[in-house]
Amino acid sequence: MNPSSLKSRFATRFLRALTQIHARKPICPSSPTEIFRRYRRIKAAADKSMAYSVRSRRTWTGAVLWKLRSRSCGRRSVKTSTLVKSQQAIEKKTRHEKQNKNTTTTTGGHGVGFGVEATASELRELVPGGEAMDYCNLLDETAHYIKCLTTQVKVMKKIADFYSL
Amino acid sequence: MAEVLNRTATRQPTWNTSGFVTEMQSNELNCATEQVGNYFLNPNWDNSMDQSDPFESALSSMVSSPAASNVLPVSGENVMMRELIGKLGNICNSGDISPQFSIKPNTNTGSANASFNSTPLNSPPRLNLSMVNLPAAFSADPGFAERAARFSCFSGLNDPLMDSFKLSGNQSIKVDGSQSIKNSPMEANSPENAESGVSKEDSSVSQQIPARNDAGTRKRKSIPRGKAKEIPSPAAADAKVATENGESNSKRSKQDGSPGNGNEKQNKENSKPPEPPKDYIHVRARRGQATDSHSLAERVRREKISERMKFLQDLVPGCNKVTGKAVMLDEIINYVQSLQRQVEFLSMKLANVNPRTDINMEALLSKDMFQSRGSLLHGIYSMDSSAPTFPFGYQPQQGLHLNSGIPNATETQFSMKTQGFQLPSIDGFTDANPHVGSIWEDDLQSIVQMGFGQNQPQGYQGSIATGQVKIEL
Repeated sequence: MNPSSLKSRFATRFLRALTQIHARKPICPSSPTEIFRRYRRIKAAADKSMAYSVRSRRTWTGAVLWKLRSRSCGRRSVKTSTLVKSQQAIEKKTRHEKQNKNTTTTTGGHGVGFGVEATASELRELVPGGEAMDYCNLLDETAHYIKCLTTQVKVMKKIADFYSL
Repeated sequence: MAEVLNRTATRQPTWNTSGFVTEMQSNELNCATEQVGNYFLNPNWDNSMDQSDPFESALSSMVSSPAASNVLPVSGENVMMRELIGKLGNICNSGDISPQFSIKPNTNTGSANASFNSTPLNSPPRLNLSMVNLPAAFSADPGFAERAARFSCFSGLNDPLMDSFKLSGNQSIKVDGSQSIKNSPMEANSPENAESGVSKEDSSVSQQIPARNDAGTRKRKSIPRGKAKEIPSPAAADAKVATENGESNSKRSKQDGSPGNGNEKQNKENSKPPEPPKDYIHVRARRGQATDSHSLAERVRREKISERMKFLQDLVPGCNKVTGKAVMLDEIINYVQSLQRQVEFLSMKLANVNPRTDINMEALLSKDMFQSRGSLLHGIYSMDSSAPTFPFGYQPQQGLHLNSGIPNATETQFSMKTQGFQLPSIDGFTDANPHVGSIWEDDLQSIVQMGFGQNQPQGYQGSIATGQVKIEL
């Protein structure tokens, strides 16, 4: 395994976090609530490790980290205001595109023709930080995000297999 | 950088432009380097584009080290220089590129180019001739098209080429190898120069001669971008480059659209030239198509997007047969959703697993490389009550495997997971299995269903006995 690959970087970080999480000794380690809490923590650790492990900072990594931080600090309205701004940016862009193309933009990413490209809102929801990007960059981010997700899944699978031995 | 140069060197025949004019140089030096970049298009662009990545890095390194002097020994490496110029066009567009095209007077030795002040230009220039002059000349000359047409008679330019000149005053002109050279010298100088230039040119070099003077708009990257189109860009970085190129192309096309521009720009994107296929990367308005800047920009943008979609197609498994943007988009969305769900499942599983205190990280890492499927069976039966068990489909393994591990994500599994896998969203783990099991049964040959959370091993056995599990032996 390449010691400096994304895979190994993520694996080390994630394992470190995992051992930390498992090192906590709650009162009742096997209760569903406790398991659920651990699940949330592990998932957050996985996302965080992945976001930190990429070499080139991407929009989605920043969005992931930001979400995690805001969540840990409690839900705040900062996020909503940011989202509102991004929505406005997107609307402006789509309006401009409409003028240029005279096509009707469809929502939800479903549709045929060029209109679907302008919004692709479903994809935007999936990819963190995807709300405020134009379609081209969104596809870029999606590609990188998919690559990182597959790495994440692979590593976590192996860890889970190992743990379950 | 050197390697890049070498690469191009091998490919390009010497492009002797000794006929180029010194005068051109002097005039046009004042054009921004950007223009230069756009001018030269390596006909073997795609060859060079194969190494686009190192190229880019080389270029960026060049940019960062502004070298005032030209570097290239004239060895006819014009092509390479052009490529580089094209690539770096964008970088140089910062506008601070006061043209230091101190074009040296014709030095047959080809020391001409060095004058590119912009960093990227410096390194590549191995122009035999004042290739530098070319762009300068082009950009500065308002009557280029006219002159080109005029000069065409000298060298007997191909009809298509001349047609393009005549057709689109502002359209980018595809310059054929020999002809391009012709054009460049021509416009600047006397016919002799042109002729000499023409005769000198032996390689089919397509030049992109954006005569645009726009600072920051002319992006030479359009050249690599166009080539990137032809070459599947596997890496996201490539796509990024392609994006920039595309943008520059669109800009260029916009400028193309605006008539009356003093600079003749022969920006062309080699999308589908009506002429015999040439391996350029130009933006060109096709015959009979709208040539306004909007539609050209649109086309460029669309091509960028389709490029990205192709790349995504490679990433998402099982999308080779899918055609159409909408379907492809749906597939991508499904795949991303399934990956995210998988991560959630795995984290749930890890939350349930009983951590062993003696786990060594290095051992784990080494285990990562080791596929231990057979041992999972044993692991299942030794699970304690808190061992997590997830319903997962798995591929049939040799022998008996009660696989508590997560099978490799395959297309089938991927599609299966997308079919209403509710588990991640369930807070209570215990009662999801029966439903999930039934769902999965439909899709997989054998499904091992396991309970969540606090299933005792007996409970686990019991759930197996409920008949929802088929074990493939």
